[in-house]
Amino acid sequence: MERAIVLAASAVGAGLAMIAGIGPGIGQGYAAGKAAEAVGRQPEAKGDITSTMLFGCAVAESTGIYGLVVAMILLFANPLIGKL
Amino acid sequence: MEKYLAFVTIDKWTLIFTWANLLILFLLMKKLFFKPIKNILKQREDEINSLYDKANSSSEKAEKLKQEYENRLNEAANEANNIVGEAVKNAEARKSAIIDDAKKEAKGIIDKASREIEQEKNAAVSEIKTDISSLAVDIAKKVIEKDLKKEDHEKMIDDIISKMGE
Amino acid sequence: MNIEVNGPKIVFTIPIFGGINVTETVVNSWYIMAFIVIMSIYLTHGLRVKKPSKKQVVAEKLYLMIHNLVTDVMGKKFENFVPYIGALFTLSILGSLSSLLGMRPLTADLSTTLGWALITFMMVQITNIRTNGFLGYLKSFTQPVALLTPLNLISEVANPISMAFRHFGNVASGVVITSLVYSALAALSNFVLGFIPNDFIKSIPIFQVGLPAILSIYFDLFTSFLQAYIISMLTMVFVSSAAE
Repeated sequence: MERAIVLAASAVGAGLAMIAGIGPGIGQGYAAGKAAEAVGRQPEAKGDITSTMLFGCAVAESTGIYGLVVAMILLFANPLIGKL
Repeated sequence: MEKYLAFVTIDKWTLIFTWANLLILFLLMKKLFFKPIKNILKQREDEINSLYDKANSSSEKAEKLKQEYENRLNEAANEANNIVGEAVKNAEARKSAIIDDAKKEAKGIIDKASREIEQEKNAAVSEIKTDISSLAVDIAKKVIEKDLKKEDHEKMIDDIISKMGE
Repeated sequence: MNIEVNGPKIVFTIPIFGGINVTETVVNSWYIMAFIVIMSIYLTHGLRVKKPSKKQVVAEKLYLMIHNLVTDVMGKKFENFVPYIGALFTLSILGSLSSLLGMRPLTADLSTTLGWALITFMMVQITNIRTNGFLGYLKSFTQPVALLTPLNLISEVANPISMAFRHFGNVASGVVITSLVYSALAALSNFVLGFIPNDFIKSIPIFQVGLPAILSIYFDLFTSFLQAYIISMLTMVFVSSAAE
């Protein structure tokens, strides 16, 4: 019974942790929009803009990845079950 | 029975293996990949640089040689000009000398000729004088049949001659 | 139906120090290292100054790419970082791409990425101490005011953790999604072919043939390149900014 509650709560927690995906989504969309603007303004610097944008996006993604890792810990390597 | 580690886990032995692997790969790649290519690029750069240097120096040398030949050509042309000029001058000098000589000679010949003519003339004149005077004396003797005094004779004759000579 | 998303398999255990577990990650990284070393030997075999062969052109191109990346980001004085960044980049990219061959990617193991991130962390600290001296290094944590020291310490420690989790999370999410898709497609095949009474035909996973390849182009190719680029880039940026 306790185990079932912990598992259910872990699943819900994993789902909640993935809410963290909203932030990077907005941020990366904003960055991509700005990059598109920049390419429109300076098409000759497309390569530099693209690599900078990808780099920035990947760094901004960190928070989302933290959420993902937490979700994965809860789903696949649950430390809470061991405490029962 | 296959054993698995947990999905999200930090395994200290894997960590140590990771460090060792990366270190070994770093050393191997440095030795096998990066160093040889770096060397070859460096060699190529050196070779290209030396080629450039060589090309530069040979073009400089060629330039110098060209300059030298040009100088020499100029010198030769000058020398030729000088030689020709000198020859012309010499020829000119000789020409004028020859002309001078010829003129002098011609003048000498003319002088001599005129002198001879003068002498001849003088001689002829004096001969004619004596001839005339004796002739006149003879004629006069014959005409007047009398002897005049010698002084009067001569005086008269001289007068006649000088009148004739005019 | 049971969906298994496991960590790295323990291939064998060396029975010293209470049993050293040699996992799939480590074994795969040995394969990849062997591949890299063989490729290095092959590419650098018979290098010539004049008239380079095609493979030499490729090798020089690769070298110049890494060399230019490092010297552009870090400056000329960090030229001796080129082999390390090259090794890190190659191991990371091939380690992630190995999932295309059905191997478990190296970087889907937190220990691997944390190991790399910790090396970067140590490099940053050493470079900082070497540049500013030990006192200057300690002092740099109290900037701009001494009150912020705990925050500075946390942000310094957060760097390697963030690097490790970023790389791990990107590749591991690919692994998870790929395995989920595989089991979903297996279930779909089972559902479609389930009525056939022949066990052999029933077990043919018809939907697993083409579809996962499309996913793996994004999760493996794109993510592998991007994450390898980012972990090398972050290493370079952190180290070169520690030298200022």
